[in-house]
Amino acid sequence: MIKKVLVANRGEIAVRVMRSCREMGIRSVAVFSDADRNSMHVRYADEAYNIGPAPSRESYLNIEAIIQAAKISGADAVHPGYGFLSENAAFATRCQDEGIIFVGPDPYAITTMGDKIIARQTMIAAGVPVVPGTTEKINDEQKALEIVNEIGLPVMIKASAGGGGKGMRLVKHIDELGSSFRRAKSEAMNAFGNDAVYIEKYIESPHHIEFQILADSLGNVVHLFERECSIQRRHQKVIEETPSPLMNPELRREMGETAVQAARAVNYKGAGTIEFIVSDDLKYYFLEMNTRLQVEHPVTERVVGVDLVKEQINIANGNPLPFRQEDLRQSGHSVQCRIYAEDPDNNFMPNPGLISHITEPHGLGLRCDGYVYEGYEIPIHYDPMITKLISWGETRTEAIARMKRALYEYKITGVKTNIKFLEKIMDTNDFKDGKYNTHFIEKNEAALHASRLCGTECEDMAIMAAFVDFLTKMERIQPPRYTDELGSNWKDFGRKRNVLRL
Amino acid sequence: MAYEVNLEHRSAKVELLNRVGNKVLLDIDGHKYDVDIAMVEKGVYSILYNGHSYNVELIEGDSSKKYIVNTFAKTFNVEIVDAESKYISSRSQGMAAEEENQVVSPMPGKVVKIPVKAGEEVTAGQTLIVVEAMKMQSEFKASHDKKVLEILVKEGDTVNAHQLMMKLE
Repeated sequence: MIKKVLVANRGEIAVRVMRSCREMGIRSVAVFSDADRNSMHVRYADEAYNIGPAPSRESYLNIEAIIQAAKISGADAVHPGYGFLSENAAFATRCQDEGIIFVGPDPYAITTMGDKIIARQTMIAAGVPVVPGTTEKINDEQKALEIVNEIGLPVMIKASAGGGGKGMRLVKHIDELGSSFRRAKSEAMNAFGNDAVYIEKYIESPHHIEFQILADSLGNVVHLFERECSIQRRHQKVIEETPSPLMNPELRREMGETAVQAARAVNYKGAGTIEFIVSDDLKYYFLEMNTRLQVEHPVTERVVGVDLVKEQINIANGNPLPFRQEDLRQSGHSVQCRIYAEDPDNNFMPNPGLISHITEPHGLGLRCDGYVYEGYEIPIHYDPMITKLISWGETRTEAIARMKRALYEYKITGVKTNIKFLEKIMDTNDFKDGKYNTHFIEKNEAALHASRLCGTECEDMAIMAAFVDFLTKMERIQPPRYTDELGSNWKDFGRKRNVLRL
Repeated sequence: MAYEVNLEHRSAKVELLNRVGNKVLLDIDGHKYDVDIAMVEKGVYSILYNGHSYNVELIEGDSSKKYIVNTFAKTFNVEIVDAESKYISSRSQGMAAEEENQVVSPMPGKVVKIPVKAGEEVTAGQTLIVVEAMKMQSEFKASHDKKVLEILVKEGDTVNAHQLMMKLE
């Protein structure tokens, strides 16, 4: 039985994992870099150990330092969160070798799914539909041309080691093929140290829909339905929701079964996500599998009523899943917005800094997974995501209205955030109608960047607040000499007003 | 005494007519505002005007006279112009031209690359410096053909928001 978990991560996800640990009576151990001494996860944990300098490479990606911290603290398990070492097979292997439970799948599943070409081959063998294209690494342009002639344009050239939109090239015209091919290879080499690329058909107006799965070590695999993740900017998800507005019961059942099949093909254990690309005519293809907890897991937790971190720990303990597929239901609707410290008016430039004031939204049907607080300085070294807002409603309309209310309540000063940008997304017709695909942000660019109307009165309020604040500061510097003069202010006021009436 | 308050490109004339506690009577561009204004939390003002409730957030800029002001609909740069600032601005005509000759970091971050040297002639669009923050790299490019006068930071340095990094001619 796991009694102490080291969380090899930082930020909101570290806090989120520790919360479940606390509920389960498991002690939590935080690790932190020099830049994170004041971070929330260090305060929340039962124990905390410094693992090195601020850059991730020297701390949160430093396997040796994390293993050391696990040994010193006597942690019997390591939870990797998402990002950092969560999909690093070497780290999972190292934990195994040290006799520490890695809360996640076996290194075999991580390696197989981590290499996109091997993953494609494995899925084809398991009867899971993949996007038409190659199952081999493409080495020369001649071969690439043959493939394109076979499957037709447009195509995507992708890095086998890729992810997060890096090393991806869209080819629409045949004369772009050569240069795109060479560029994708060099980009892949630079980003991943591996220049293997493959070609697949480009699906027009694609929807990103993923399925959450849970698999125990006894061979039980269930899916916890879908998450719609098509609202993306530069291949980064911004808003997720479940159920997907595109889904119907028949397709849901079919895709769910396919997701379970995919997980079985790699002897999966733990929580994982099968990402699909779905075309407008509801044809779906396997895209990739994320062998870890996802950023957007809370929408599933809310609608299905399952704590995914608790289940991860149960599975790591060797326990069977406490439910079967037929026990699981979706209830209501949930939407998640990712709040980033970035400036939407300035090309979404990251905006780290000191949080001078923060008011988080509360109230019925709302969850706020964050880690920043008043007086906290967001470091420059890590991800700009500061909070995830998750709303729930009986219906999709209610969940969206609740999210709008939450965004309105959310006040943060000191750093710029994308809150207003998110509010505008909630207001677009395409989003309200649930009719969108991954081109949503491009398509609604004008509406999303239009500035809201602030009339003269609204402007005057801004002027007034700044002016009064300035005067108050001045008074503090030069205290008024006659403090007992207050009584005559009303007289002055009357006189002035009379004069002004003239 | 009337002040000038600049809100983006608008210049408003503002005068405090009376103030008793939270009750403030103000004149903004000839319009009288009789409001109840209170700082309810640090940097957050609640304004009651004609029965309407407004919330305004202030972030102090690099001087005590400059603010970034968030209203529900929009964010503004606001500057209070008093006698002192007027004097300073009258003495520094041509500030705009000077700004163009400076490379200033808009955010805190780390300098990852400086592909130019002091004394080097650069062409419009050429990358002068690359700053990384939160896993994202931003390139700062020359707006016109210029000469690099002085580089005030080096690769690996951490920079603050609004820090001057490079001077151009």
